[in-house]
Formats: sequence, structure tokens, C-alpha cells
Amino acid sequence: MTPELTALTLAALLQVFQVCLMAVPANLELGTKKTLGPRDPEALGGTLASQLSPRTARLHRAMNNHFEGLILLTIAVTVVTLSGQSTAFTAACAWIYLAARVVYIPCYVFGLSPWRSVAWFVGFAATTLMLIAAVL
Amino acid sequence: MLNDELSILLLYGLLMAVVLVLKTTGMLTQFDMGYLLSSRDENRSLEGMLGRMDRAINNSVIAMALVTPPILVIAIRDQSSAHSILAAQIFLAARTIYFPAYMFRITGLRTLVWLIALIAIFFLYFLAL
Repeated sequence: MTPELTALTLAALLQVFQVCLMAVPANLELGTKKTLGPRDPEALGGTLASQLSPRTARLHRAMNNHFEGLILLTIAVTVVTLSGQSTAFTAACAWIYLAARVVYIPCYVFGLSPWRSVAWFVGFAATTLMLIAAVL
Repeated sequence: MLNDELSILLLYGLLMAVVLVLKTTGMLTQFDMGYLLSSRDENRSLEGMLGRMDRAINNSVIAMALVTPPILVIAIRDQSSAHSILAAQIFLAARTIYFPAYMFRITGLRTLVWLIALIAIFFLYFLAL
């Protein structure tokens, strides 16, 4: 297993963790009657996401944002690995992505401006550099 | 580079990254820096061109999630053929056109290239099976 694949697997596990981090308080706040139902906004007076507490809503946005980051990282990592282009540089990019994404969560939850944006940018830049390295 | 499914997948990833940069940069014109760097508790929606870019990116995440499995399977199993390369090329071309078609409100074309890309995805799954 290349270091990039290890980082990708950990990033996927991080997303599992983020889902739990959001889902537990969301269920406590909204009640299982709402969360287990079909969630029709017209029957609940708005979307479920709009009824979350500010902190849980932040966790929800952080989770949604990570899906976007994860799909780009998946492409970068699998192509780098399959085409045998793994280098110290691409491995470093993958680990930096993971670290930035871990930092991103508390920055979002605690409203640490501008560090949330900085963490997002570091993760995004690491992925883009990997994509470019694989294409070259 | 365009004769290899994995490279095509990479180019699509890069294309999406470019649009993401354009959208994020464009947000500076619609929102103040304080809001952008905050945790954005107040839900402000993107307007006009930026909203269309946002929706195009969301749709691309789905397309990317769908096209990645067959391309990886074809690459890992060494099943690359002229057909699979062509399907991947058509996918990339259609999804590339999708962005300007969405951004510049070219009704009809956007839906057409979306459909072409979807058919290319199904074809890749068929070839990968």
C-alpha cells in the first residue's frame, strides 16, 4: 500500500467520523421522528438542515465540503498509485491534505476565522498539486 | 495524454479544480471577506453566474463519483480498448462543455451534454463488466 493510499483510507475514515460527529447531535436536536422520516421539507416547516443548531449546522457544512475534497483526492491518489508515479512529493501532498482536513473541522466549529479558509486552501492546493504531478 | 482513461480522469479532476478556484475567487465579489472567512452561519445563496457555477460543480461531483469506478476497474484489469478510450474522451468533452453551457445559460445544450456524459458513463460500466 502506497502512503497515498493510506492517507486516502484515513481521509475516508475521517469522513465516517464527520458523519457521526454531525449525525449524533442532529438526531438529539431534531428527534428521531424527523430524522427517520422521509424528511419532506413541506411537512416539517423547512429542510432538516435549516433546523439544526448553529454548531451542528457547521458540522453539517464541514461534512458536505469534505465530500467535494474527497472525490478530487480519490482521483489524485488512485491515479498516482495505479500509474506507479508515487513519489515523496505526492506522499507529502496526501498527508498534508489529511492534516488540513483534520484541522478544518475545529476551525469550522469554533469559527476560527480565517483558519478554516486557510485549512481548506491547504487541502485543496495539496490535491491540485498531486493532480498536476500525476499529469506531468 | 487523451489516449488513456486515467489521464482523462485526471484532466477532469483538474478541470473541476479550476472551476472551483474561479467560483471561490468570484465569491469575493459577492460577499465581504469577513463573511467568507467566518463559519457562514447565515445562509447566503450565490447569485447569477456564481450560483450556476456552484450548481455545475455539485453536479460534477456526482458525475465524477460515477465515472471513477469503471475507469479504475478498466485500468486495474487492463481492459483498456479503443472503445473505452473513446467513451472516456466523449465523457470529458461533454463534461467540459457542461461548465460554459451552465454558466452562460445555454438551455438545451447543457442538458444534452449532461445526457451524453451519462450515456458515456453507462457505456464505461458496460465495458468494465
